[in-house]
Amino acid sequence: MHAEKLQHDFEPKIVAFVCTWCTYAGADLAGTSRMQYPANVRVLKFPCTGRIDPVFILRAFQKGADGVLVSGCHPGDCHYMAGNFHARRRFAAFRALLGFVGVDLERLQFSWVSAAEGGKWVEVVTELTEKVRAMGPMKEFKALEDEEQWSGALNTPELREAFESIT
Amino acid sequence: MNAKAEKIRVASIDPSYYQAVTDAIRTEAVKLLSEEAVVAVVGYLPGRRIGTAVPGLVTTPEQAQQLIFSPACVNNLSLYLTKAKKGVLKKGKVAIIAKGCDLRALAGLMGESQVKKEDIYTIGIACAGVFGANSDRKGGLTEASIARKCRECTVHQPEGVDLLVGTLPELPQLTALEAQELARLEALTPEERWAYWKEQFSKCIRCLACRQVCPFCYCEQCLCDKNRPQALESSPRPAGNTAWHIVRAMHLAGRCGGCAECERVCPMDIPLNLLNRRMAMELKELYDYEASMVPQEKGPLTRYQEDDDQSFIK
Repeated sequence: MHAEKLQHDFEPKIVAFVCTWCTYAGADLAGTSRMQYPANVRVLKFPCTGRIDPVFILRAFQKGADGVLVSGCHPGDCHYMAGNFHARRRFAAFRALLGFVGVDLERLQFSWVSAAEGGKWVEVVTELTEKVRAMGPMKEFKALEDEEQWSGALNTPELREAFESIT
Repeated sequence: MNAKAEKIRVASIDPSYYQAVTDAIRTEAVKLLSEEAVVAVVGYLPGRRIGTAVPGLVTTPEQAQQLIFSPACVNNLSLYLTKAKKGVLKKGKVAIIAKGCDLRALAGLMGESQVKKEDIYTIGIACAGVFGANSDRKGGLTEASIARKCRECTVHQPEGVDLLVGTLPELPQLTALEAQELARLEALTPEERWAYWKEQFSKCIRCLACRQVCPFCYCEQCLCDKNRPQALESSPRPAGNTAWHIVRAMHLAGRCGGCAECERVCPMDIPLNLLNRRMAMELKELYDYEASMVPQEKGPLTRYQEDDDQSFIK
């Protein structure tokens, strides 16, 4: 019944922020229709794309996501009338900001998936997973997370000597 | 408007210009206070050292005689209408002295219903520029000591103010250092830009001076102070610093008036205004929005159009 499970060297972690009215229902439809899609995606349900704060995306990257997907209702279909219109502007700005700071925007995907588009959900998730898999792990934010000192410049010979004398 | 066209190369600004502005401010402040048209004037007072200035709140005509304007008047006074001096506004009308860049912040605050137009009396200054942070102020305002934001100022002449003081002297044409730096960063690869910002943000000690000095950071509780759930780490570590500066730039996108106070107060000299400028450029390009000296009802991120660009969305 199940497709043969392929072994990969790297399984990316994908976090999907989805709106409950469209994409979550779309993903549900994909599930009930027994469509197969990569299990790398972790779905987080929100009332609306307008509720998805850019901070969530940052935090996902910081806490180890290799890719982030944000998905909601098509323009005009928002349950709250205009949530996705506002989200669209906000994410356009946020993408520009991340790009300016030097984040690879290929790891951040936005999409509109309606409740009837189970197939599109599968397609979007598969494509992002494969793209991120080819790109390898997201190292930038994880490196920041691992750094303890607020300044990497604190590495003078004197300090080094003092450090070695106490260890 | 025509100020830019008139710019020619001169060594420094004539001191009599500052004297004239100072006199005009004093006359107006005394008049307003003695007529009781306003309860207070937010302006600049001389600092304790010669050649310095501090923000001050003046309530009597006698005190108003001490108001000054000099290139050391760097502060954006609109800050005093939102947070620290919030109580003052309730008692009556307040007069405020505003340079062009401060006026954009003031207009932004009016647009966000933080300040009511009828509650304030704006004294706009035709501003020739102010000192940069840590500059040598001995020789007056020169090309070496002028603030980076003033080098490419487009708002020398205030608009929509209750009273305009000063006539703009001839201004030197200066190279736009900030725009050059922005262009340089834009031309780098994403990896190089990440390395640049990583180094800049790693300097951050999280004193939050950038937040405290920003007229638009008026939230009673800041997102970055919240725990449970914690949105971003509060200790000065690289992870939290990067998140803080990205979030700060994001929250100011479409609101920032470009007074560059954040950059001025930063003790670690992080070029914060580059982030703000970049966002302003983006919003101008995408939604044709620019911060202006007259209040706009809505910012670019609080309104929308059905046909907004969505080429990045699948």
